[in-house]
Amino acid sequence: MKTKWLFPHSYRLIGWLIFIPSVVLGFANLYAEFNLPFLAVPFGSWKIPGDTVPQNLTDELAGIGLITGLLLIAFSREKVEDEMIGQLRLEALQWSVYANYLVLAIAILTVYDMAFFTVLIYNMFTVLLVFIARFRWLIFGTTIIHARYEKSTES
Amino acid sequence: MKNRLKVERAEHDLSQNELADRIGVSRQTINSIETGRYVPSTILALKLAQVFGKPVEHIFMLDETD
Repeated sequence: MKTKWLFPHSYRLIGWLIFIPSVVLGFANLYAEFNLPFLAVPFGSWKIPGDTVPQNLTDELAGIGLITGLLLIAFSREKVEDEMIGQLRLEALQWSVYANYLVLAIAILTVYDMAFFTVLIYNMFTVLLVFIARFRWLIFGTTIIHARYEKSTES
Repeated sequence: MKNRLKVERAEHDLSQNELADRIGVSRQTINSIETGRYVPSTILALKLAQVFGKPVEHIFMLDETD
């Protein structure tokens, strides 16, 4: 089956190889203020004109790495990519968008100030994370049913 | 939608695996179609019919609820 907008199957592994170090780097940066020295920018922020406080690009690297890694994991072709897998992928995507905004709505009502900013940081990645989890769960589910069915028809 | 996929498979002595390989889908998809959890596209239904050399209507039938 022809599928649009998917990466080759092997890119999923590349995705994990990018995602894991990025998530470690991201947590280290967020909670331990860890910065990679070679990513220090001697001049002021290039994002805020006139800012003269030196910046470090560790969080930028972690963020871009997380996005790249998660996108590759989420949207790489399965080994056998067929129409049912495609449908499961779409269902998982819809499910994750619902779940994500439900959680965000709850956070809007219950979390304030800087804690809410932290929620937003997580929220940047949770759509993809929840999607990946849901999609793998659906595929796992059909595999289990398949295995059971095979067993029952053998005997 | 009802289907006779399992019967046809038995008549042609094909495992789910072999049938899946022939039409280029995963084993799980064949299984899901047989158990009625997945309704295949027209293309896939035609491919299945082609394997068994029978018209699509012989393999897939409408249910009262369809």
